[in-house]
Amino acid sequence: MVKLKQLAIHLYRQYELITCINMLEPWERKLINGFFLLILALIIFSSFVYLPAYMQTLMQFIMPASWNSVSMTNAQVAQKMAGSH
Amino acid sequence: MGNLDTDAGVTFEQSYATTNGNGIGNGKLPNGQSNASNSNFLLDNTIVDEQQREALVQILNQRKFSAPAYTEIRTRRSAAKAAAQAMKFKNANASNYHPAKNLQINGQVHALKEKPDFKPSQVEGKLSPEKEHYAKTSFEEVPLHTACLTYLGFYLLMILGYINQLLFVPKVASEKGREGYVTLYDAFESFYSRYVYRRIKDCWNRPICSVPGDELTLKDRVTDDYGWSFKFTGTQTRCLNLGSYNYLGFAAATGRCADESEDRARTAGLAYCSSRCELGNTEQHEELEKLTARYFGVEDAIVFGMGFATNALNLPSLLGPNCLVVSDEKNHASIILGLRLSGATIKVFKHNSMKDLERVLREGVCYGNPKKGGLPWSKIMIIVEGIFSMEGSIVRLPEVIALKKKYKAYLYLDEAHSVGAMGSNGRGIADYFKVDPKEVDILMGTFTKSFGSAGGYLAGSKKLIDFLRTNSHAHCYAGSISPPVVQQIVTSMKTIMGEDGTETGRNKIMQLARNTRYFRKRLAQIGVITYGHEDSPVVPMLVYLFSKIGAVVRTLTTRHIAVVGAGFPATPIMEGRIRFCLSAAHTKEQLDYALEVIDEISDDLGLKYSRKPRDPNPIEY
Repeated sequence: MVKLKQLAIHLYRQYELITCINMLEPWERKLINGFFLLILALIIFSSFVYLPAYMQTLMQFIMPASWNSVSMTNAQVAQKMAGSH
Repeated sequence: MGNLDTDAGVTFEQSYATTNGNGIGNGKLPNGQSNASNSNFLLDNTIVDEQQREALVQILNQRKFSAPAYTEIRTRRSAAKAAAQAMKFKNANASNYHPAKNLQINGQVHALKEKPDFKPSQVEGKLSPEKEHYAKTSFEEVPLHTACLTYLGFYLLMILGYINQLLFVPKVASEKGREGYVTLYDAFESFYSRYVYRRIKDCWNRPICSVPGDELTLKDRVTDDYGWSFKFTGTQTRCLNLGSYNYLGFAAATGRCADESEDRARTAGLAYCSSRCELGNTEQHEELEKLTARYFGVEDAIVFGMGFATNALNLPSLLGPNCLVVSDEKNHASIILGLRLSGATIKVFKHNSMKDLERVLREGVCYGNPKKGGLPWSKIMIIVEGIFSMEGSIVRLPEVIALKKKYKAYLYLDEAHSVGAMGSNGRGIADYFKVDPKEVDILMGTFTKSFGSAGGYLAGSKKLIDFLRTNSHAHCYAGSISPPVVQQIVTSMKTIMGEDGTETGRNKIMQLARNTRYFRKRLAQIGVITYGHEDSPVVPMLVYLFSKIGAVVRTLTTRHIAVVGAGFPATPIMEGRIRFCLSAAHTKEQLDYALEVIDEISDDLGLKYSRKPRDPNPIEY
């Protein structure tokens, strides 16, 4: 637990240093941290809400047409088999 | 040490105060005053006054280190490492170093055990000059991600600065009642210093109140408004001094130099209030000039009261509009100012690149002066420095001299940092490369650095110096050097030459060479990126990011080490650095202490950028 905490402190310090946050005044820190959090939140939100749909469209777009048709035929075969029973 | 920080929950200010109170480690307080009160407190703790004073000192310390000027970024360590460290403290005396403990006479040189294999500060000459230069110069490309982050951080600071400028404008920023006049402030410069530099302003221009010898005393100050204003706390911090150009350790309040200067002040006064051409010329000045000429092994020399003016005012008298100057890109501001004043055409070549120097020279010779339709230049002069103060590199003198001869140019060598510090006899770069000093047309240098005094000199042929005596503005109009200052130069110079009948000068030179090699090798082993030649006592350690300059300087101050940081206006944006200047006055213990602290904080602040293989063996001093 202590180690985790130390790791977190260390990581936050590195973040402070590379973004120059340790030089800023408190209100500026809040502004910049808030800004980064907002960006992060937006990325996470969009990756949950929009990404799956995008990925599906993208896959359909990239994949060769034959694959799509093959999967289609497979599905049709399965359907037919189901129907025949 | 007092800063062994194993408990992550305790804030730095508290841990600092408690360690001071309990006397963990060696329990020394950072300044003399509190130190005295601490020991008194231990001797007789019934006295209420002392207790109150103790409490006051602690409050002051807390205030000092919790104020924004000193907010330390706490160092992280695993428990095992800390325990090992604690064990080491008990055993090894070296790590127990504390500046307050070491109250020896400033500038004292410790007797060196002569080792047969010890290398003096001199070129080896086994390889060709070019190969040896590359073998001995440490340089490393900046890691790509660090470069990106540095620029991003800088942009962020600029954007925030502009937002700040919109919201908070100090009264002094707007000029009132000056309609129709040209503005006093350069817009970008004042913006930069107010809204970017101000954030880490406490790391520069720090007032000191002692001799800057191997140790110095910082006058503590705090800021309550993030760098707009400072106030003194009334306390002082004794620090190990890694920031002064005191290469040979002649800057000392005691010792031969100081005594003789004092005597001279009593007999000859403090100033002549007149220039050399009028009433300010004395036998002492003549003697100094003769001594300087003898020191460098040239015909004659001329001395001035100010090192910066030696460059800035003598270059215009040597150069005119029909002259071509080939100048290194990292040359000092005084040279650049002098060249601009002279009106000569300035061509810059890449730092220490002989290929580029040759290209510029060849173009200069081939095309001539374009303003005069390609007529040949009346003079071509190469201007280089001995040790480049920001880079820590050494000029490749043998190759420059070869090029100078090939293209029939003159050579002006600024030895501001190298005189005294380089060469087995301390006579500068020419001595280091075993080159005849007469091959360099004009030798320039200062007395400010190695000699621990003030002023500058130009040395060369009799003809040149006589020309300068009649034409130099710095000679005709500036006041002559003050007698005690002259005495300091004369005494220290004679000590280096060994004319005082002791081995002190030689020991100092050896000690500096040894310190330099040791420090550089240990830094390379730690894994930080340093620039420069292995024999140069100026050691720039690259930290790149703007925020890290401030963080390192502040953290080292809380560990009682005073260093100099250099950031954007002085260096390129991407190359923020910490500059260590070594001195013959430093002992191995002091350097070990500094290196240990640097090792510790570079883990913590992420300074170990180097991707080179590290030497696994311990470095021999």
